[in-house]
Amino acid sequence: MRDAYLIGAGQSDYGSFPGESYRSLFRTAFENARDSVPDGIESEAVDEAVVGTLGVGGRQLGLPGPAVTEHVGLHGIPVTRVENACAASGYSVRQGVQAIRSGMADVVLASGVEIMTDVSGDAVRYWLGVSGETEWERLSGTTFAGVYAQMASRHMQEYGTTREQLSHVAVKNHENGAKNPHAQLGFECSLEDAMDAPTVADPLNLYHCCPTTDGAACVLLASEDVVENYTDDPIRVAGVGAGSDRVGLFQRDTYTAVPASQYAADRAYEMAGYGPDDLDFAEVHDCFAIAELMAYSDLGLCEPEEAGEFVASGKTGRDGEMPVNTSGGLKSKGHPIGATGAGQVVEVFKQLSGEAGERQLDDPQIGLTHNVGGSGGAAVVHVFEKGGAPSAPGSASGRSPRDTGGDAA
Amino acid sequence: MSDHGIHAVGAYAPRLRVAAEEFAEAWGSFEASGIEEKAVPEADEDALTMGWEAARRALAAGDADAADVDWLGFATTNPPMAEEDPTVRLGSFLGVADDITRQSFTGSTRAGTRALFAALDADTEGLALVVAADCPRSEPSDAHEHAAGAGAAAMLVGADAPAPITDRAEHAEPYPGTRFRRAGSEEVEGIDVTSYDREAFRETLAGAVDAVDAPEDPDAAAVQAPDGGLPYRAAGAMGLDNGTVHTCATVQDLGDTAAASVPLSLATALADGHESVLGAGYGSGGGADAFVVEAKEAVPADLAIDGGTDLTYAEYLRRRGDVTSGEPNGGAAYVSVPTWKRSIPQRHRLVAGRCPNCGSLAFPPEGACPDCRSLVEFEPVELPDTGDVEAVTAVSRGGEPPEFAVQQQKSGEYGVAIAAFEADGESVSMPLQVVGAETSPDVGDAVATVIRRIYKQEGVIRYGRKARVDDE
Repeated sequence: MRDAYLIGAGQSDYGSFPGESYRSLFRTAFENARDSVPDGIESEAVDEAVVGTLGVGGRQLGLPGPAVTEHVGLHGIPVTRVENACAASGYSVRQGVQAIRSGMADVVLASGVEIMTDVSGDAVRYWLGVSGETEWERLSGTTFAGVYAQMASRHMQEYGTTREQLSHVAVKNHENGAKNPHAQLGFECSLEDAMDAPTVADPLNLYHCCPTTDGAACVLLASEDVVENYTDDPIRVAGVGAGSDRVGLFQRDTYTAVPASQYAADRAYEMAGYGPDDLDFAEVHDCFAIAELMAYSDLGLCEPEEAGEFVASGKTGRDGEMPVNTSGGLKSKGHPIGATGAGQVVEVFKQLSGEAGERQLDDPQIGLTHNVGGSGGAAVVHVFEKGGAPSAPGSASGRSPRDTGGDAA
Repeated sequence: MSDHGIHAVGAYAPRLRVAAEEFAEAWGSFEASGIEEKAVPEADEDALTMGWEAARRALAAGDADAADVDWLGFATTNPPMAEEDPTVRLGSFLGVADDITRQSFTGSTRAGTRALFAALDADTEGLALVVAADCPRSEPSDAHEHAAGAGAAAMLVGADAPAPITDRAEHAEPYPGTRFRRAGSEEVEGIDVTSYDREAFRETLAGAVDAVDAPEDPDAAAVQAPDGGLPYRAAGAMGLDNGTVHTCATVQDLGDTAAASVPLSLATALADGHESVLGAGYGSGGGADAFVVEAKEAVPADLAIDGGTDLTYAEYLRRRGDVTSGEPNGGAAYVSVPTWKRSIPQRHRLVAGRCPNCGSLAFPPEGACPDCRSLVEFEPVELPDTGDVEAVTAVSRGGEPPEFAVQQQKSGEYGVAIAAFEADGESVSMPLQVVGAETSPDVGDAVATVIRRIYKQEGVIRYGRKARVDDE
């Protein structure tokens, strides 16, 4: 089966933009993605588009895909809207890879967009709950903060995880986000700030929760047959994995892991022929601080009981052994639901292209994205590999023969 | 009918209390004489949920279950809906058969004694369950509001009872304006002519009591108590001394419990082992019921009417909804009423499903078996009332879904737990809001489930189970 390559990626600023529409944000992301392709690309080259969005907040609910692609001049091509809650555009990237691998397309635009901040506080809470289990979970009185707080309560009880360790996630991600010009909350925060914030859903406080965000992100994928038309430094989509699970937390076998993430990671690693030890960095779904800690263990970066210490010890900082969320993550960069998964790929593209500015890692080779829908009803993981000529698989076990020890920024 | 009477009693009052001094501090005076403190319904309690609390206790005390009930009566001056038969939902909460006789009684503070009389008249083969629950309210400055309390009592009634009702009578005479509620209003009023009000109360009650063959000196008298003064002012006219009335009075602790007033006092008298009890209920507009209980042996009783949490006057106003705004606007996530209806056995009685293939439990019992993944027809299994907390959070102001915004304004932070329930060695979990004094249990704590209002949408109140820490 032929390979897919990441040839460009771009995003709009993430934040609250009363002056922007979902179309104008999408346009910004599209232009940034197009302009990021090393050897350039014409719009006419795009064979197909996939758009991830929840399509809510008073916006149109039908046909948001063509609404944004026609807006940027991608006329007449097949467009599909993908909805898997917060994993919408992680799945749109996966759909793009499938289209290329199947041979039905050579160049695909995989994208996401969301407008969340132009509705009243009442209305935003109404539709934030639509991605959970509505009949029982929501009607017990929880939004996502409450459900993730329940996971945190269990994680603390089983593994001794502390509020301070949760707060370290915020400190790290804000430190990274402060170096990302696109970040919504691009400022640093102290451990004291992150410890003393008002409680949202005990034990989670405001600094343990990501914001609501407007934004768009676009990713350009090309087949191995045409990739050399666009770049001399190809980034191969080495592995794609996805998985699903019961939508309600109470229906699952565990409250301290996200099985859908584990399924997705196992499949992505298997396809890539790489394991967690091979990664140089990861963009993970930190909608809440506890989600990042669970991602560490679900992705095999550490054991569950080590997750709190993994962040508190600095191992996931930019100069640590496994940098996580160099973009600032959902916490600092922002979380425009439908755009988040594609936005994670934007960071991977920038890091692997050496275009990550102040937060650039030292010549990373392999990066991972991890995107979760809801509280774990869906998850998707991608492994990207710099270089990777069309015939370059790694081995399924052990580290690849390269130096991954020197990722200091 | 000499052998027809009371088999068991149950009672319930909300744990929230507000003291007379709180009113005196806020208003300069407290307008309801003889009341020291009163019970206040939590934001998710109403006459139906309190009625369920009392009813399940009466059934448990009488060692009976819902299948033994073939007549169900519910009495209140404050049905949660002005039109809609409350006995249908109450019966579902309790799990009574769907073909029993149901009657509801309202429109007067003697609705509780009317229900008791109707149960006796029904002369059922099995047991009749009489449930009286009330939570009157009025304008904040009105004496009726100062007095307004909350509580519920339930009685299992039938033949061969340990406490037969040996005589009963009623007396009616029009006294318009003494206590009334306008159509469409939630607030009790009176024209407030003191001597006229007292006369109405005294004359109608005396008329009813005169007509029964009352014992010369009963152990206790369960007398209607709109406040803590009137029953004593009417005692003499009924041939009672104040001590007999006070013996089983609840008004000083619970406030005016309207249709539940006499049933609560009767339950208290029987629970305390009194044998001869005179009941005297007064009805809004001028009317009274009187009855005589002559207990031959102890009546099983389960009363939960003690207070637990004291409110300030400001907290009281929040609970009443006097200083809170309405439901937020707009919305997408939405559970339709027909969808909700399909889940009523689960909402009301925790009916889980057992997989006929592998024996695992599923909650809710729908879709594929969570364990063996087969698409099966689950066998219904009623879960026990108690479970263990597996995960928990406390949702602060602003962290709640909009369906719970009004509740948050009234009651503040609430807990939400995932709790596991076991049946025959299999376990199943569900998310439950946590109510009561301790809303943040720890992982591993035991919780018991109770019926509460979940939320109201499109004018339709949705009831379901919540959890409270088991030892409360």
